[in-house]
Amino acid sequence: MKFIVSSSGLLRQLQALSGVLNTSNPLPILDNFLFIIEKGTLTISASDLETTMITHIPVESKASGKVAVQAKILLDTLKTFPEQPLTFSIDEKTHQVEISSDYGKYKLSGFDADEFPKMPVASDTSTLSVSSQTMLQAISKTIFATGNDELRPVMSGVFCQLSKDDITFVATDAHKLVRYKRGDAKSNNEAAFILPKKPLTLLKNILTNTENEIKIRYNNTNAFFEIDNTTLICRLIDGRYPNYEAVIPVDNPNKLTIDRQQFLNAIRRVGIFSSKTTHQVKLKITGSELQLNAEDVDFSNEATERLTCQYNGEDMEIGFNVRFLADMLSNLDSTDVTIEMSAPNRAGIITPSIEGRKINEDILMLVMPVMLNS
Amino acid sequence: MNESTNRTVVHMDLDCFFVSVSRLLNPKLEGKPVIVGGGERGVVAACSYETRKFGVHSAMPIKMAKRLCPEAIIIRGDYDAYSKKSDEVTEIIKEKMPLYERSSIDEFYMDLTGMDRFFGSYKYATEVRKKIISETGLPISFGMSANKTVSKVATDEVKPNNQMQVDFGEEKNFLAPLSIKKIPMVGEKTYHLLRSMGVELVKTVQDMPMELMGNVLGENGITIWKKSNGIDNSPVEAYSEQKSMSTEETFEQDTIDVQMLKNILIAMTEKLCFRMRSENKMTSCVAVKIRYSNFDTHTMQCRIPYTGCDHTIIARVKELFEKLYNRRMLIRLIGVKYTHLVGGGHQINMFEDNAEMISLYQAMDKMRFRFGEDKIHRAAALSFSLRGFNPFNGLNNSPVKRGIKT
Repeated sequence: MKFIVSSSGLLRQLQALSGVLNTSNPLPILDNFLFIIEKGTLTISASDLETTMITHIPVESKASGKVAVQAKILLDTLKTFPEQPLTFSIDEKTHQVEISSDYGKYKLSGFDADEFPKMPVASDTSTLSVSSQTMLQAISKTIFATGNDELRPVMSGVFCQLSKDDITFVATDAHKLVRYKRGDAKSNNEAAFILPKKPLTLLKNILTNTENEIKIRYNNTNAFFEIDNTTLICRLIDGRYPNYEAVIPVDNPNKLTIDRQQFLNAIRRVGIFSSKTTHQVKLKITGSELQLNAEDVDFSNEATERLTCQYNGEDMEIGFNVRFLADMLSNLDSTDVTIEMSAPNRAGIITPSIEGRKINEDILMLVMPVMLNS
Repeated sequence: MNESTNRTVVHMDLDCFFVSVSRLLNPKLEGKPVIVGGGERGVVAACSYETRKFGVHSAMPIKMAKRLCPEAIIIRGDYDAYSKKSDEVTEIIKEKMPLYERSSIDEFYMDLTGMDRFFGSYKYATEVRKKIISETGLPISFGMSANKTVSKVATDEVKPNNQMQVDFGEEKNFLAPLSIKKIPMVGEKTYHLLRSMGVELVKTVQDMPMELMGNVLGENGITIWKKSNGIDNSPVEAYSEQKSMSTEETFEQDTIDVQMLKNILIAMTEKLCFRMRSENKMTSCVAVKIRYSNFDTHTMQCRIPYTGCDHTIIARVKELFEKLYNRRMLIRLIGVKYTHLVGGGHQINMFEDNAEMISLYQAMDKMRFRFGEDKIHRAAALSFSLRGFNPFNGLNNSPVKRGIKT
């Protein structure tokens, strides 16, 4: 079996797929790309059992066949070539792969393609289409808020709630929460599922390079994303997502509005002086003055900044983790943001200010404070 | 090994510190038998050398001390004055010594390793001692040797108001004729146990194989054996930011009452949590320690997300205790320890914590600050107010013998 393919075209596809590969795999075969040639098309797959990514690329070939090729050695080789046609010859019996370039010949051992795990079959699925920009926004605005706690796997993913009116994406690690609603994305069926972080990151990378619609199919166990010539299949996270609506307080009498970039810069600066393990900053709001204060007792570092803001409510003092605030503020894009609070031991809610809100987009970020011991 | 044998460690101890300070404040007490302690039911916190002749010693009930030495003048302690004086001494040592450790209010370890090249360590330590005596007016003694244990024993031997050096290589011979009671770590129980085995002098321990001590007293036995042989590699540790917090209790009588043990653990956890919060700290590692009646000691720890909340830690402590206590044997000691402390407030969790719980802690802490630590408790911890050993009123209504060490 033989085929000829453009070196840079192949490399681009393989690099996109390589995000699926783990550094250590339970099955050695997962360190390989699966090559399937059929009717002049090369189908390449990579999988870590949870996530599988498949892509197609046209090649010059008469025969059909399949083989598993060692991912690392192939990637390393391709990276060194300038654009040129490469000829792959595969020995069907020994699975040996021989690559011929303008410079010479390279032989590497391949493996039996049948050892590669079977792809999940898209049976009994529901389908919807979303614009790639919407999906890209939804992923980038939520993924930073997901958790890493192995004991609470549901929180390590993004919760997607489909309805006839909108789609809601939620991520939380129990300290911060993002709820992102899109009115321009709809589904015919009501459904909800949790997507793991890794495929979403991969999807984000694919989506940055396309303008086309993304087709999503899902059933009880898997989700299938199809865009351009790539398919991404991921297993859904099994479990009940926490009742996030219940923790979003509705009655928040204290409202602060402030220039987002200015606040973010101040938070980042003051944050440098906070404790390296707890990253705490104290917000003291009196009238229209917001005072930020952080200190690291161990190293006697301390910083204070004063900012002007619009504030409606009682004077208050509240503590937050600097990194949470910085993450949230940098993931919003309005000029001004509004922070709604009720008490120093209750959640603060960050939203774009009314002027900065976009049609069809409803974003709410919630951050839990830290206890200030007086 | 070479490095440790070549060390020069000085142990300085202020002689009957509380009495000496009291005498400075009230010169009439000079030369008279003095006992510091208080109350009818109190115990002796410190006593002058005059009273010691009558058999009075610290931690003895005041009543008994009075019976032994009726002439003694009993005064209540002035803790503020004591710590102020202790700070003065610390200042001098800090200025003069390259590396020091303040191991208690009246004891200091100093590492003079390498100073011989310039001054002669013994001469230098003598000068510092003289300086302390002339500047603070307090008698102080020191012992000098290659490690902390031998230096401490040496100080105890030459007291009061004296100094001595144990030459390199002479550590074993120096310790040999002493009673085993002199070895730090040998408390009353261990002493009795060793005496019942016929061990009276350190020499006997030195002649015993290390394994034998290990079999009798576990890990501790091995440490005692090493100390008896003048081996102690522990370094002089300069003061550093507190990295852990712990409390442990030895029972008057060994117990097997699991419910009571759990309640004591709750009381300990609560107390430490309050202390932690009042210093604006959190922990991320909790450990539980138990010692069975045969001195087998077991500890188990677990990592948790940074927290200062009682309920989270109590749950973990109970889990650890249940895993740890599996031998259905009498327990003589239990303890709780928090490590990996960091400064900061508890990050509230939106699903596990609620605002009411947080407000409750804040309200409880406020009450404790205002009216005292023991005024509000969980019901389970109520009967074990771990007030600890208070030398000035001697009140100690907990079932445990020794006070809280943090």
